[in-house]
Amino acid sequence: MSSYRCVFLMGVEQALEYRVSFFLSMLSAVFPIIIQTAMWNYLYAHSDAAGVFGYEQGQILLYTLLATIVSQLVGAGFEGEMNRDVKMGGLNKYLIRPVDYKWYQFFRFLGQKIPRLMVAVPVMAVIVGVAFWQGLPLSAGRVLGFLGSLILGMALNFSIFYCLGLLGFWLTDADKLFGTVGIVLMVASGGVFPLDIFGGLVETVVNILPFGYTTQFPVNIINGRFGWERIGMGFGFQLGWILVFACLGRHMWRQGIKRYAAVGG
Amino acid sequence: MIAVEHLRKEFSYYKKATGIKGSLQNVFHRETLTKEAVRDISFSVEKGEMIGFLGPNGAGKTTTLKMLSGILYPTGGKVEIDGFIPWERKNEFKRRISIVMGQKNQLWWDLPASDSFYLNKCIFGVDDGTYRDVVTELAELLDVRELLNVQVRRLSLGERMKMELLAALIHQPDILFLDEPTIGLDILSQKKIREFLRIYNQQRKTTVIITSHYMADIEALCRRAVIINQGQLVYDGQLGDINRVLGERKLLSVKTSGEVNEKQWENFGRVREISAAGAVLEVPQEKVKAVLGAILSGLPVEDFTVTEIPIEESIARFYQKEVATI
Repeated sequence: MSSYRCVFLMGVEQALEYRVSFFLSMLSAVFPIIIQTAMWNYLYAHSDAAGVFGYEQGQILLYTLLATIVSQLVGAGFEGEMNRDVKMGGLNKYLIRPVDYKWYQFFRFLGQKIPRLMVAVPVMAVIVGVAFWQGLPLSAGRVLGFLGSLILGMALNFSIFYCLGLLGFWLTDADKLFGTVGIVLMVASGGVFPLDIFGGLVETVVNILPFGYTTQFPVNIINGRFGWERIGMGFGFQLGWILVFACLGRHMWRQGIKRYAAVGG
Repeated sequence: MIAVEHLRKEFSYYKKATGIKGSLQNVFHRETLTKEAVRDISFSVEKGEMIGFLGPNGAGKTTTLKMLSGILYPTGGKVEIDGFIPWERKNEFKRRISIVMGQKNQLWWDLPASDSFYLNKCIFGVDDGTYRDVVTELAELLDVRELLNVQVRRLSLGERMKMELLAALIHQPDILFLDEPTIGLDILSQKKIREFLRIYNQQRKTTVIITSHYMADIEALCRRAVIINQGQLVYDGQLGDINRVLGERKLLSVKTSGEVNEKQWENFGRVREISAAGAVLEVPQEKVKAVLGAILSGLPVEDFTVTEIPIEESIARFYQKEVATI
């Protein structure tokens, strides 16, 4: 275990190493927020958006703010490196040491998130505080539920992108795929706008698919949209999907490493 | 103790004709071809031995080292290292070996090398005291004490290579595989790393298999060489015996006071170099005395020297397949 603690701490160090890049990436979250706020404000001023979407203006702004931050927190970003490890032989250095590649990547991913969390958590506290002051019903249970679902959301997103990274074993140039998939998953996770505004079938599909459980689900706990029953179910789905992707990742790794090590020629 | 028996490795790959047409053809039909990277190699290495593993580019050296370290599965044959089969990748085996590849790095690029050392300490479960001693001693030997806390990306290639070596030795492996550890380094760095390896091997009795294209590395470090070409073993023996195996020949450099024409020189042996001031002849060992006598009495000789054929040249002959497989 101590080796993964060490990887975790080095992940923290690594994220702190590039201060400018760190602040720029934090700043990069601000622009989509400004654009979306302007867009929603326009929509709500010029149409019956509240009736159509089922969100009050304040609710949708709260969602947008929180979802953008959560989406940054759960965001992966290691899949490109995994792909290079597979293609360029960087994987060798893990194979010759007594470490597990998946846990190594996982703890580094968590470590790299820590500085971001230290900025994001106070910012979210302020946003939620203001919303609370404006009349958002909030309880300690919801805050805890949000934090718990955020951690599980990170684990789930890691598992999804880990599988994606492992595609490098089969696809020579998976790098290009990551950009496209990243954007699709960003939308599919509810990181840009809440997907339940579509209602009906789309909402049902989103509720079954894993992606919403990385971003939309945690946000819907803290903004009071989900009742306790749905929260309970949501946790079930989060855990279930983590398990599914963990198993898939395990299987892909086993097959992939056989290919990599060229078992049987 | 390393025992390699009839080791084989085949890779499958496919061909693509130049241009779009070839690419399109490949979309629908790929002709799979097989390359035999390693064919039937056998050798063994005793504990504490340091051997040079030589061969031209593409001979199968790296592939063999990858099989020995457990990264690759072989197509056939056996390898046993201290009772372990490398590609089973048991943790106990991993603790005994280490591999350094000159063109790959294991250090974290953005952090100082000392962080990567510490990570290896944790991964291999090295205790604090031993870790401190090892780092202090090796950093001293490699002359990198001042650089331990500098980010890896700010180090020169030579400094980085020294750090890679140090990182690979944190867990004090019994067996060390070095794949071109001095590639691209300047002469001073090469020399430093060579010296380090020599001392390290002497002190710790670590078994070392080293590949390098710099003969100076091999001559300074290894008494024994294993040479492969096109995946096959072509020589396994003492480095100093290579010339004898190839038919002992000597180089005779003669300086003359006047010009001697080529025809005249050819009477004495194979002419390798010729100028107005003399020539270099290749002469069989047993004829050196007679030839020298004849030259001294027949030509206006000013000076002469008799030398061995450079080992680099002999090895090149193995590479060119001038010599039959032994």
